[in-house]
This record gives sequence, C-alpha cells and structure tokens, in this order.
Amino acid sequence: MKNELDEYRSRDGLSQGELAEAVGVSRQTINAIERERYDPSLELAFKLAAQFDCAVEELFDPALDDAA
Amino acid sequence: MTATESPATTRLSKRRTYRRLMYGSIVGAVVLTLVLRNFGYPFVGEAVYWLGIVAFFAIWTGTDVQVMDERDWELERRATLSAFQIIGAIGVVGASALRLLTYLTEYTIPAEVQGAFYGFIGLFIAFGLSYLWHRSRL
Repeated sequence: MKNELDEYRSRDGLSQGELAEAVGVSRQTINAIERERYDPSLELAFKLAAQFDCAVEELFDPALDDAA
Repeated sequence: MTATESPATTRLSKRRTYRRLMYGSIVGAVVLTLVLRNFGYPFVGEAVYWLGIVAFFAIWTGTDVQVMDERDWELERRATLSAFQIIGAIGVVGASALRLLTYLTEYTIPAEVQGAFYGFIGLFIAFGLSYLWHRSRL
C-alpha cells in the first residue's frame, strides 16, 4: 500500500528505530512498511497516525495503488 | 549504553539479543545433544535438549521485551502457507505415483516413505483441527 510514512518520519526527525520503538514494533517492520512490502494492521496504522498526529488516510492511500 | 546510542536503539538491540538467545538456546541444545549422543552420553544429551527447550520458553514468556511483532507473525503465516503448499503438492503427486507404481509393477513402498506419508497426513489433520478450532473463535 502506498504511504507517506517516510516523509512524516523525516519531518519529525525520527529514525526507523525510534519510530519502531514508539509504536511497539521492530525496525524491520517500519522499513517493510516504508518500502511498501508490508501493509500494517489497522491497530498499527492507527498508532502510526497518532504518532504523527494525522489521520490514517493521510498516511496510507490504498487508492494510489490503482493509479500506479 | 554509549553516548551515541538512543534508548530506542538500545531496546531494539535488546529485542535482537533476546531473539538470538531464544533461537540460540534451541539450536545450541540440539547440536550439543547430537554431540553428546555421539560421545556416548545420550541421557545427558536429552537433559541438555530439554534445557534448551525450557530456556526458549522461559526467555519468551519471562521477558517484558516484545520479541515478536505483527510482521513476524505475518512472516510465519506466509511461511506456513508456503510449506503446506509444497507438502500438499508432494503429498498429492507422490501418493498417486506410489499407488500407480504398486498397481503396475512389483514395487513395494519402503516403510520410511510410508511413514513420511502418514506424517504428512497427520500434519494436515492437525492443521484441519487447528483451523476448525480457530474458526469457531473468530
């Protein structure tokens, strides 16, 4: 799934490891989401959105998959 | 912790350490068991084997560090599916080939191969039962 996680993380100056720790997953999981190789669970998507103080749909955009 | 390590980095390396300890205890125990058995200490080997198993679960359940996350479970799910697909394909094709061989020729299926097929069947029965149990709860 297309996502803006990398942009939001860079905006907040967080490393993958720091973001991973903040939301309770491994650094590899964050890396896999950023590379769009793994779609997070709903729970994790909400945790990430809460971390960046934005809506889930601002962070993840499944519709962009169709345009690609 | 050094000055350049953030608490997050430390916790993540802790997670890695715990995982290595868990899987290391299993692999180490199995290797040691085989070595001890070859050197004529089968009972000590078994004790070491069980020590490794207990250590694995003790580390897993005893630590407050989250050793597995949702991607790990997803990886396990995918690996299980792939493994079952491969075993299933081998089972379906192999069983048919062996049946035909025994009908058409004088070939007798070796006991080891028969045992392996019973093992496959047992695995699928266990999977089916587990699936039904989960389905009743989801």
